[in-house]
Amino acid sequence: MWPLIIVVFVLLLVPIVMYNSLIARRNQVRNIFATTDALLKKRFDLIPNLVATVKGYADHERKLLEDITKARANRTWDQISDDQKVEMDNAVTKAVGGVMAVVEKYPDLKAGENFLHLQRTLNELEEQISAARRAYNASVTDYNNAVEMFPTNLIAGLANFQRKAFFEVPADERQAPSVSSSANA
Amino acid sequence: MKTIEELRQFYDAVLLEDLQILEDKRRRVVNSFIITAAIVLAAGIAGFAITTGMGGPAPVAFVLPVVGLITGGIVFGVRRRDYAGDFKARIISQLVYFVDRNLTYNARACISQPEYMASKIFRQRPDRYKGDDYVSGRIGATQIEFSEVHSEYKTTSTDSKGRTQTHWHTIFKGLFFIADFNKHFTCEVFVLPDTAEKLFGRLGQKLQSLNVFRGQLVKLEDPEFERLFAVYGNDQIQARYILSTSLMDRITNFKKKSGRPVHLSFVGSKVYVAISYGKDLFEPRIFSTLLDFRPIQEYFEDLQLAVGIVEGLSLNTRIWSKS
Repeated sequence: MWPLIIVVFVLLLVPIVMYNSLIARRNQVRNIFATTDALLKKRFDLIPNLVATVKGYADHERKLLEDITKARANRTWDQISDDQKVEMDNAVTKAVGGVMAVVEKYPDLKAGENFLHLQRTLNELEEQISAARRAYNASVTDYNNAVEMFPTNLIAGLANFQRKAFFEVPADERQAPSVSSSANA
Repeated sequence: MKTIEELRQFYDAVLLEDLQILEDKRRRVVNSFIITAAIVLAAGIAGFAITTGMGGPAPVAFVLPVVGLITGGIVFGVRRRDYAGDFKARIISQLVYFVDRNLTYNARACISQPEYMASKIFRQRPDRYKGDDYVSGRIGATQIEFSEVHSEYKTTSTDSKGRTQTHWHTIFKGLFFIADFNKHFTCEVFVLPDTAEKLFGRLGQKLQSLNVFRGQLVKLEDPEFERLFAVYGNDQIQARYILSTSLMDRITNFKKKSGRPVHLSFVGSKVYVAISYGKDLFEPRIFSTLLDFRPIQEYFEDLQLAVGIVEGLSLNTRIWSKS
């Protein structure tokens, strides 16, 4: 009788443990995405400052940034979908990189206290966003492994756990001048 | 960073004169050792002769060599300490100044035990803690300090006759380095030599993740770095904020350059680096001549290794919000 009880107990326990581990991994992914999201918003909110600081210098890049900010003008951050946020973030990274490259040509602007402070803050955020993306991708790898590997894939299939996409770092972002390259230092 | 060629010039121009004075002192230390050995030997022979002459063991036969050993030992010990102190004051302090003018050297001080414990690299509280050769100063924008540290814990065992014996075990022996880190952070991150993964592969990674005292295992993307180190932290994002891809690369290079076990921790806005050594650092040679460039080069390289951490880990890069 006892062996039978033990076998039934184990048969019940194993799927529960596997299901819980999948949930834990999925929550980890969500948790890290939430932090990444907060960082993206923080950087987005800095754009009006940057636009004001480089007024009269980097007109073309400034216009790009203004267009990006206009795109979200009538919506709160939560109303924007995750995909759109990522897209906007890529555009911001590119435009900020462009601004920084132009500023290199104006030593008086580059040396100004306002600009230096802003540059430091942007560098800091870029470094934090890059860390958050890497953490997100690591947690997605962990989660996807569990979704695809035997035996957790059986539970994942039954409970409809889907593979998650990585946070792609666009190639042109990796090459972006000034901010991205210096933030990697 | 100074080169070996510059060191050689410095050696010829500055150090050599002091080394010649110290070489005389060293000879006197060696002489006192030889004299002690000779006295003990002579006393031993005399004791043996007395024992044979009296036809049985006589107390004086044991007393003579013991008295000789104690007296000689004291003389040798005092001279040796005096010589080592003089060597450090003349040679090591000048070498430190040569490596970087902003550094100061104190032969008798060391990284304090509370600071050592604050690093949380070694969790075991030491029962005996000592160190010397303390160097501190500012390299560019980065405040640094390092010294030799030796921490030990003790165990006692009782044998069948009820005698208790104390055994001392080393927790850490080597160079302990502290610097102000160039980014703000609030989490704790530990970069430890990876033994489990090296031995057991994927299963090892599983074992690492069970190390609950250190926080979560942080799996990083750099395969070479991952092979050498296991990283733990209490915040997955901040751990990666600290360990940027380029810093991982720099730590890997530093570990290879040192050729020794290296532990790092990032706690309270500081970076702590513990480099294990089997030998005592910055100690003068006694039984071989001082007028040799090689040991000087060795002291210089040990100093450069520590000071070079600032450049090696790019701690002077202050492009983030921390100035």
